[in-house]
Amino acid sequence: MDVAGKVAIVGIGHTVQGELPGRSVEENAVDAIVAALADAGLAKEDVDGLIACKSAQGLGNDVAVGELLGVNPPYAQCLDYGTCNFSLHLAVMAILSGMAETIVMSYGANARTGKVDFGAPLGGVDLATASGLVHIAGPAALALQRHKYLYGTTDEQFGWIAVGQREWAGRNPNAIFRKPLSMADYLATPYLVEPLRRPDVTMISDGGVAVVVTTAERARDMPHTPVYVSGIAEQSGVRGAYNPDNLLRPWLRDAARSIWTKTGLSTSDIDVLYIQDPTAVWSLQMLEYYGFCGIGEAGPFLAEGHTRPGGRLPLNTHGGQLSESYAWGWMHMVEAVRQLRGDAGERQVDGAGVAMYCSSQAFSKAAASILSTDPAVAA
Amino acid sequence: MSALLPDVDDPVAGPFWAAAREGRIAVQRCLTCGRLRYPPLVGCPDCLGRTYEWRDLRPTGTVWSFAVYHRALHAAFNGQTPYTVAVVELDDGPRITGRVLPGAQPVVVGDRVRASFESVTDEVTLIQWQLL
Ligand SMILES: [Zn+2]
Repeated sequence: MDVAGKVAIVGIGHTVQGELPGRSVEENAVDAIVAALADAGLAKEDVDGLIACKSAQGLGNDVAVGELLGVNPPYAQCLDYGTCNFSLHLAVMAILSGMAETIVMSYGANARTGKVDFGAPLGGVDLATASGLVHIAGPAALALQRHKYLYGTTDEQFGWIAVGQREWAGRNPNAIFRKPLSMADYLATPYLVEPLRRPDVTMISDGGVAVVVTTAERARDMPHTPVYVSGIAEQSGVRGAYNPDNLLRPWLRDAARSIWTKTGLSTSDIDVLYIQDPTAVWSLQMLEYYGFCGIGEAGPFLAEGHTRPGGRLPLNTHGGQLSESYAWGWMHMVEAVRQLRGDAGERQVDGAGVAMYCSSQAFSKAAASILSTDPAVAA
Repeated sequence: MSALLPDVDDPVAGPFWAAAREGRIAVQRCLTCGRLRYPPLVGCPDCLGRTYEWRDLRPTGTVWSFAVYHRALHAAFNGQTPYTVAVVELDDGPRITGRVLPGAQPVVVGDRVRASFESVTDEVTLIQWQLL
């Protein structure tokens, strides 16, 4: 089934991103839902679907969020953490199948004040973790080191991801890290897990984010310009460690092939690009796999400045998880909508009509969405 | 001390740890398709065969990639930084990730290494990599 132009994002909302001591995951999710519904001009009773995405601790599922929001929508579902893009895809499928007409998707987190230990092994202890390969920065550093070896990528080339995103964050009042970061500053920052420095790795913050999605028909009566879903694609890599070269996530290339084939669009159609970034390595990989530059060429491409303010491929214009906040990629979607609505203030990209959001769930899944104010862009 | 230690009695991975204790690198070999697999897994993800044997591999290989921890990101590694973890492609094929023993030279991709067996408790021996 072709999804192009049939479903639209009509509401976005979020809490303050930062430190929200004493507040539960569900409170943050519900506050964001209230904001997103207000943005869409809807009451909670107008929603017949709820998709809640879990926090890193597994909290904030649909049952817990539904209880606090006080609703019994006909359709309620829960996805794992880090799955904003996947939640959007599920919402599109639920709407197009007639399961629901208007869905609110939510995510809540209190990882910062809740002091979640992101260095704790996720499964049992194997030789790698017992040897000290802990935290997402470890495997990301291994992937980057391999990239450097294969293609000659330099620290400075790679550093343009973090430096560029900080430039964008300086134009974003919601961003937590706004202090200017020059390339000299970046290079002077000590390594965290070499070759990664602290600015290359996500911050940890609290907050909630929500997005309201409905049919194209209903969207036309909503207060804001509808942001249509032009294409969606996913590709899993759930074979995990038994994929050849899984540290390099080669299956991302299949997600790319799928979204370009399904939409008939190409990289030159994309005005603003969003890449979920637990580490900057994810951006390096996805620029290549989605074809914005050749394989192995992301270093020189970044150094040419394309992704920075004023460049031809603005990347993570809110600052991403490196500079704005840690919302598992949910704020990436919010920012894409703001840019397409023309509401991005000082960081507004002129003529932003088509946005792409590429995300992944670490070493197991990839998702891509193309969004546009033109319902026919991919039709 | 909150060391991160493996469960050496794990029904699937146990023989790997037992071999390490005896100074050997042993991985599973599928008896249906013959493929080697690591990390240990109850069945073969290629042919779905459930029978396997443990096969000793040569203790030598090449650094495929590495990362240097300048900060301990888990309390178990406090006081050990900087330390280097490397993915080593064994000469017999499988890639095994472990700690690199501190040496005179910084590690680079492509370095030749040999396994060294470091006993950390009476039961747990970790495979570490010695630069050649
Ligand atoms: Zn087999």
